[in-house]
Amino acid sequence: MIEMKNVSKQYGQSSVLNKIDLTVDEPGIYCLLGRNGAGKTTFLKSVAGYQNVTSGQIKVDGKAISTATLDTGVSYIENFAKHFNLPIWKLLRIASEVNAEYDYPFATEMMERFELDGKKKFNQLSLGMKTMVSTIVCLASNRPVVLLDEPVLGFDAIMRVEFYEMLAESFQRHPRIIIVSTHIIEEIAKTIHKLIVIDKGRIRFFDTLQAVEEKAFSISGLKKDVDAATANLNVIGQDTVGGLVTSYIFDYPPKQEASLEITPLSLQDFFVQMVGHKGGIKV
Amino acid sequence: MKATLSIVKRLLASNKISFIVTAVVVLCATTSGDSAVALSNGNYTWLLAVLTPFFFVFYDFKKLIHLGASKKDFYFGALVSYVGLAFLVSLLNTGIHLLIDPLNHTQTVINLMAVCGWMENNVFFAFVQQAVFLLLSMVFLHVLLSMQPHWYGWLTDIILVAIICIFTPIAPLRGLLAGFFKVIMFNPNALAHISICIGVSAALSAVGLTVLKQKTL
Repeated sequence: MIEMKNVSKQYGQSSVLNKIDLTVDEPGIYCLLGRNGAGKTTFLKSVAGYQNVTSGQIKVDGKAISTATLDTGVSYIENFAKHFNLPIWKLLRIASEVNAEYDYPFATEMMERFELDGKKKFNQLSLGMKTMVSTIVCLASNRPVVLLDEPVLGFDAIMRVEFYEMLAESFQRHPRIIIVSTHIIEEIAKTIHKLIVIDKGRIRFFDTLQAVEEKAFSISGLKKDVDAATANLNVIGQDTVGGLVTSYIFDYPPKQEASLEITPLSLQDFFVQMVGHKGGIKV
Repeated sequence: MKATLSIVKRLLASNKISFIVTAVVVLCATTSGDSAVALSNGNYTWLLAVLTPFFFVFYDFKKLIHLGASKKDFYFGALVSYVGLAFLVSLLNTGIHLLIDPLNHTQTVINLMAVCGWMENNVFFAFVQQAVFLLLSMVFLHVLLSMQPHWYGWLTDIILVAIICIFTPIAPLRGLLAGFFKVIMFNPNALAHISICIGVSAALSAVGLTVLKQKTL
């Protein structure tokens, strides 16, 4: 369980996390979405105890998390993480030796499935392969909380599909909290249970994908018709083209009328409206 | 415990460069035959104690954490490695001092074990005195290097340089500095020396733990 209470993080004058209150209490695969510089990495590093927050408190399974926590129970891997320049099989073996909970059979199985040559040294691998090794190490750690920062960076399309399968399989073997930050929204949608949208250091959305399917819509039509239909609804964005207006809502949609075109929003469009426009909804 | 021992194994295995550099220097260092005195090659085994903390702090720490090691296991692993290496280096230098140094009949061979006065006690005590002094040096270096990313690391550097610069030219302060080194290095009382070195090492380890608790990644 992750509890964040009033968590803020500042680098000098720049506020990266801004009074975040968040509780993740159920095992599941969570997708952390946000634009570049939204605070995703800072969020993950803070939960992992890799850095201290400026104010507020983070707890994982009741244990306060900071750099002073010598054993956090969190496994975090950053993109471009560097490892010892050793053969992959040896890296996985060392990881299993330094962590008693490590799932070594899972790690070796994944190494074979992704056709990683165990004899190849880490520095000889491509960027995608390096990331895959880091991801396997992190997922096999079996810690109660696993944080993956941009794990699909450098993956080709096939590797990405296999990664999502690995993620789901790892969760089925050991249900726990897995948070994955990514920019490739639609691909991961089938795998995740909940979505966390972060923007400008604030949590803008934390709910299931079902909530997005039920409530995220675009409503197009003449301005007066759209304004009337959305008057009491939660409008998260608006586009105007000539006399036509499209309003984006996160709310139960109004009744279908001939003058209005009501369409469900894709996850990507929903995300863009949440963070790409001024305004938005409050959680 | 298994994790700590695995970390010890990994730390020592990835310390190859220190071992090789030390071995090369020990084997290749020579003193001019014209000189009346020669430095014992055993002295250069201390190089291992100087180089090792650099690798542990700047190379191994982050990589082990990425492999899932906890900070606690890393730190205990590093301390256990320092203890092992201190005794290994001491054993090598004692062996060289006893077996190889006497082979040089033409020059007076200077070994730090003799310079520090440890050989005035029996060989076993000299071996232990050297080991605990090296342990103290490694732990001190580890703590000092771990501090470097923080402001207090730089402050400590400045203070250390200032102490040497200011204390050396002023006689009463120089006496104080000499007294300090007499206690931790040139102490003729073996038991007192061993106790002080272990005590200071333990105190420095506690400081190192505090520094580790502030270490970001």
